[in-house]
Amino acid sequence: MLIPLDSGTAKKMSAFHCANQCSWCDGCGDYGIWTAVKRSLVESGIAPHEVLLCYDVGCHGNTSDKLLGYRFHGLHGRVIPFAAGAKLANPKIPVLAFGGDGASFSEGVGHLVHGIRSNYPITFVLHNNGNYGLTTGQASSLTQQGQPMNSSPNGMPEHTLNSMDFVFSLEPTFVARAWSGDIAMMTRVLKAAIAHRGFAFVDILQACPTYNEFATHDMLLERCYDANAEGYKPDNAAKARALAMDTSKKIACGVLFQREDVPSFYERLEPRKALQTSAVEEVQIVNTQRWEKYFV
Amino acid sequence: MTRISLKVTGAQGQGVNSVGEMCAKGLKRAGYCVFGYREYMSLIKGGHSSYQLDVSSDAIESSETEVDILVCFNHHGLERNALEVKKGGVIIHQTPQWKYTKEQQKELDAGGVRTIYLPSEDILKKLKAKPMLGNVLITSVVWSILGRSADDLKELVREQFGHKGEKVLEMNFRCIEEGFGFVGEANFKMQHAELPKPNPGWKNHLLITGSQAMGLGLIHAGCRMYCGYPMTPSSPLLSFIAEMQNETGMVIKQAEDEITAAQMMSGAMHMGTRAATGTSGGGFDLMTETLSLNAIIENPSVFVLAQRPGPATGLPTWTGQGDLLLAIGSAHGEFARCVMAVSDAQDSFDLMPEAFNIAEKYQTPVIVMTDKQIAEALYTQSPYDQKKAKMDRGLLVTDPKALKKLKGTDRYDPLAKDGISQRWLPGSDAATYCAQGDEHSSDGSVDETAKNAVAQMDKRMKKMKAMEREMPEPTLMKIENGKLKIENSDVALDLLVVSWGSNKGVILDALKEGKERQKGQKVGYLHYTYLWPMKTERLKKLMAKAKKTVLVECNHGGQLGQVIQLSGGPTIVEKILKYDGRPFFADELRQQLFN
Repeated sequence: MLIPLDSGTAKKMSAFHCANQCSWCDGCGDYGIWTAVKRSLVESGIAPHEVLLCYDVGCHGNTSDKLLGYRFHGLHGRVIPFAAGAKLANPKIPVLAFGGDGASFSEGVGHLVHGIRSNYPITFVLHNNGNYGLTTGQASSLTQQGQPMNSSPNGMPEHTLNSMDFVFSLEPTFVARAWSGDIAMMTRVLKAAIAHRGFAFVDILQACPTYNEFATHDMLLERCYDANAEGYKPDNAAKARALAMDTSKKIACGVLFQREDVPSFYERLEPRKALQTSAVEEVQIVNTQRWEKYFV
Repeated sequence: MTRISLKVTGAQGQGVNSVGEMCAKGLKRAGYCVFGYREYMSLIKGGHSSYQLDVSSDAIESSETEVDILVCFNHHGLERNALEVKKGGVIIHQTPQWKYTKEQQKELDAGGVRTIYLPSEDILKKLKAKPMLGNVLITSVVWSILGRSADDLKELVREQFGHKGEKVLEMNFRCIEEGFGFVGEANFKMQHAELPKPNPGWKNHLLITGSQAMGLGLIHAGCRMYCGYPMTPSSPLLSFIAEMQNETGMVIKQAEDEITAAQMMSGAMHMGTRAATGTSGGGFDLMTETLSLNAIIENPSVFVLAQRPGPATGLPTWTGQGDLLLAIGSAHGEFARCVMAVSDAQDSFDLMPEAFNIAEKYQTPVIVMTDKQIAEALYTQSPYDQKKAKMDRGLLVTDPKALKKLKGTDRYDPLAKDGISQRWLPGSDAATYCAQGDEHSSDGSVDETAKNAVAQMDKRMKKMKAMEREMPEPTLMKIENGKLKIENSDVALDLLVVSWGSNKGVILDALKEGKERQKGQKVGYLHYTYLWPMKTERLKKLMAKAKKTVLVECNHGGQLGQVIQLSGGPTIVEKILKYDGRPFFADELRQQLFN
């Protein structure tokens, strides 16, 4: 595997530098994602003041004050509609939303469903560490069935949700996967997601050295591979779904599926089609007299 | 003051609303003030619904319990509503061989109420007209009884159905002629309920529901995005503003649930546009965590709370004022908020720019309360003043030079005057910050120290103090020579009525019409528009001078009274409370106030 010690972006990345110290556990996958996000923004030519980064609640949410940029740190499970609302108000600003597997596949799963279905033009990054880390290691719906966890000492009775099967059933327009130990791949995938026309779903498999004993850094290092580098083309939903779901031996990473021919939610809004301005630029007192004819 | 009323009853889907609306339009254009009131059940077809119009040449904003003309599409109206008809009134129905119960017949006879069977089916068959034209036929009968001209009605019909072609129009006109002929043959004349002389002043007015008025108000306020989830009685606002989207260019989103609607509105406001969300009690419950979030990130946000009686699904299509304590106490944590209530089509429009101005000035949530009565009632409304509203975006920084000078720590600076710090928008070329849902220091970094927790709580609560200082006192209204007068001095009154929301219209009507019962008493109505923070000084002064003070509310607990007490105000002992899902009716309230 290529370990890029200097990608040439270090100087620009310092624009995102924030003095607050990171508070994650040693070996947490969030360190790698944090770095890859900054790098992907820099390599996409986006300055800190030009982006809105929206964080859900969970370990990943503690990124919100560990980098610069306009940031938002909201409620557990609710980051997608906030980010979507922000984006619709000003489509000129790139909006990235981040959420954990706990928030995104339990409390806020409805938002994920409708986010993908609506094809909002935002990037959603799933910090997928297979458990509720911040609340000290409870099972999420993506935790392996039978695994004893905090609050389910006998293992959770429910079966594990097949997240990729679920996501593909919603007819996404962009699905990618990476893992927290490969900053170069995460950067590549995130850049593609940011450039995507609609809703980009980026699943980042993330090591949780404290609570996740089944998907460790070593396991991910061994199994994850760059499918695109091996010639895989992300243009067929059925193939992508099969590839994404089969993680029994190797885990395919990279851009797994992408189509750019589907308009985003915003592009489908009839009243906005003729307008060049954003809703943020349109705030003014409007004379409503012209519509009083409907009420005479 | 003379007022007459007309009630159309039938199953939902039979055309009750279309007959009601057509009559309302025609009467308003003829120079009358019309107030329309709808009752219906939570279903699509069937059930029993009604559309009541109260009509006068003077201003009215309420209904009465009794009507002069009752129109029954089916026998349910005859069974349930016949005894609501006033002495000398008339009932028109189309149920063949209808017979009242003996008791009913006796009472109707005693009141000289006439019942007329309109053989609609036969008439339509004769004309080879579709059953749908029964609506026009019934309207024409009512129209004729009211002494209006057939030409006026034809003009209305041409306006509504003209696009369907001359043939359709011709058939409509023939129905109208049949209707007029029917009334002529029956040699029918209303005995007690002649329309008063019209007042041309009403002709230029709008006929508008509270929801439509609020929708126009939102548009007027520069609101560019609306997110909602269907729930009566907030749905008509969503429908109206959605129907207007191609003309307004607004972003409209019917969300997957109320949490989403609230979050999307919040995101849009954070980005810097003006956005609103609306719901009813149950949906508002779901929105409250988001309300709390907006408080800590100091995000201006506007929530419309359209009340209906709870708990739970409660009475979904009826009215009430049981959510005032909810609005004031909703969401976890302590924070500054503003709660205001609209009362009719005038302030449903006027208060929308106001709500956004307050939200942006104090960077905090604003809850605008309405209820089913306002949302669905039809008001005769003067054209709106387009110059009154001013845009106030508070400490929003947009100037490029000023933006360059900002530090990230300016965003939540605890030393800011009145706790109101500078706000700037994502995308601005300036220092960045985090809109942080955790307790945070001045740039939005998480800070759990005791010192910071106190500094930030104090900062946010200072905004409450500033709001308390700047919010207006309630308005005292008096009726003098039949005209409404705003009284600015704290006069001594014989009777002081205190209330809020949709009760305003019916209270003023009751006071106006209760003149003869008042026997020279001085009577005033104190109306609360701003409910939180709550002002009690003026009430205290007025109450000290008043011989009697009465609280009027549509809830069980007298919640306005409770909020007044909670805020250190006086206790209003005498209360008139109603919580059966119906609004107060003018005659009913008059009776309760003056007897």
